Amino acid sequence: MQNVVERILNLLAFLLTVQRPVSADEIRMTVGGYDQSSDEAFRRMFERDKDLLRQLGIPLELRPTDAWEVEHGYVVPPDEYALGDPGLTDEERAALWLAAQVVRIGGQAAGPDALFKLGGAPVGGTVEPLAADLGAESELLGDVFLAVSERRFIGFDYRGSRRQVAPYGLVHRRGHWYVVGPEQADLSVVKAFRLDRSDDLRLSENANQFERPADFRASDAIPQAPWEAGGDDLIAEVVFDADLAWWARRQMSGRAEARDEADGTLRASIPVANVEAFFAWMLSFDDRAEIIGPDSLRSGFVARIGGGTE
Amino acid sequence: MSSPRTARRLSRLLAMLPWVIANPGATVQEVCERFGYTPRQLTADLNLVFVCGLPGYGPGDLMVAYIDDDEVVVEMADYFSSAVRLSAPEALTLLAAGMAVLSSGQGPTALRSGVAKLQTLLLPESAEALVVDLAEPGLVGELRKAAADGTVLHIVYTAIGSGATTERDIEPWTVFSTLGNWYVAAHCRLADGERVFRIDRVQAAEPIGESFTPPAKPPPPVVMYSPGVDDVVATIRLGPAAQWITEYYPLEVLEGDQDSTLVRFSASDPLVIARLLLRLGDTADLIDGAEVDAAQADLRRRILARYGN
Repeated sequence: MQNVVERILNLLAFLLTVQRPVSADEIRMTVGGYDQSSDEAFRRMFERDKDLLRQLGIPLELRPTDAWEVEHGYVVPPDEYALGDPGLTDEERAALWLAAQVVRIGGQAAGPDALFKLGGAPVGGTVEPLAADLGAESELLGDVFLAVSERRFIGFDYRGSRRQVAPYGLVHRRGHWYVVGPEQADLSVVKAFRLDRSDDLRLSENANQFERPADFRASDAIPQAPWEAGGDDLIAEVVFDADLAWWARRQMSGRAEARDEADGTLRASIPVANVEAFFAWMLSFDDRAEIIGPDSLRSGFVARIGGGTE
Repeated sequence: MSSPRTARRLSRLLAMLPWVIANPGATVQEVCERFGYTPRQLTADLNLVFVCGLPGYGPGDLMVAYIDDDEVVVEMADYFSSAVRLSAPEALTLLAAGMAVLSSGQGPTALRSGVAKLQTLLLPESAEALVVDLAEPGLVGELRKAAADGTVLHIVYTAIGSGATTERDIEPWTVFSTLGNWYVAAHCRLADGERVFRIDRVQAAEPIGESFTPPAKPPPPVVMYSPGVDDVVATIRLGPAAQWITEYYPLEVLEGDQDSTLVRFSASDPLVIARLLLRLGDTADLIDGAEVDAAQADLRRRILARYGN
């Protein structure tokens, strides 16, 4: 490991200093640790080191070494290498470190690397009686965050079709991550896509591909209740039994209208766009809630429940 | 492949150097605390830096790095005066963690200002582009306060499985959120053991005027599902449209591919599995599990009766 660390430090020192593209050959001749006897040994070693640099988040680019673009060489652009200084105080770093300890993403707490880059913080401290797991696959999340911050288009598979989306924002709500933005085909309609239902994500090559509307607020694009996702299609009329009325009321969004009946039951008008999510919610009440209308929704629910009977 | 250890070592080294360069006179203890080094590890890293530098690799080309008395000295290394930019996952994880804590109404003022500075750095054009909303049910604040103060609470709780409502006294230990739901882990005096309660199922919580001493080391705040001896077990075949449940429920995948997966599902109450089966409709089949089969038939009959069928 010692040799690798030395070689990488030498390579980085060189690339950050020369400020011009250098060919692999020049690196082999010049940089300490690369003077391998065989071409093959050098090539393998250099490939491994390039991977390691990328793993460390160090931008390594291949650019023409001259105006005729005959030969290409490696560059680490200093402005892309360097972390801008956000000017954090020690107190702020410690607070961020503590937050990173109590919040997990996909079951994983953040490692200390990011905090080290920002100037380090005393590791440890008392953990508060709060812990949250934000779920979802962190790898996909990182890529989407990159696309959001650099305004790159993204393409992904979603519910059986390929989507091309301008990712205006990234939202975590109720245990799910959503990417929010319009599809390229119609930039006027902002939609929300659940990341855990998305697959085969690709980012556009270039940055700054779209403009975010000035008044855009990502939080507005996500419905408050799961069954409201995807635009309003119908209003469900539901009656909840008295003993579970409190729990039903607690889960409704502000867009639902609910009133207590004289017999203690709760009658509600609930906007439903995602019928699957709505049925799942209804089932959590067993037989203590009833869809009154519309007829199509009521009969759809009965058909689902009765599906297995002969 | 380079080992993850090598990557971690380099990552820390490339973060430590800029800080030491910017803070001349820093002591060994300060650098160690800040970057999680032991003094030995720090010395080893500085010794490596000492033999690296620019081509030529003579005395004027190599970096200077050593410990003088108690002071960490790094010179001739101006090209390492900036830390490496954050990778996208690093940036997101840190920012989202900070925002999550803030959205739950917690966190010191320093967290608010720290998150704001990170937003300016990472999302200069639109801080609104990232939203983390932990959406707490109303009682989370009270339960968290009770956990912090060691206050015994009397709660009215409706169990998820059976739907039964009970009243009990609990000693709340930790409050946590996972996959969109909030939970409180507590010592339950009724059951005389550790229990995890879903907070949106807590109808009411009142202090009983007693306090408790929290355990020195509370259990990890996760919904631990360990199958118990009294659990019911069912084997279910999932069609393509039902595959997603493997990511949402603690179940054991027995065999399968994209088109069909065989899973074993255990739960303390057969109703939990019965509800799921009804929801999945014809995209899942119960292969084995008599109790679940009976619970499903009963639930189906009750719901259909309610709808007049």
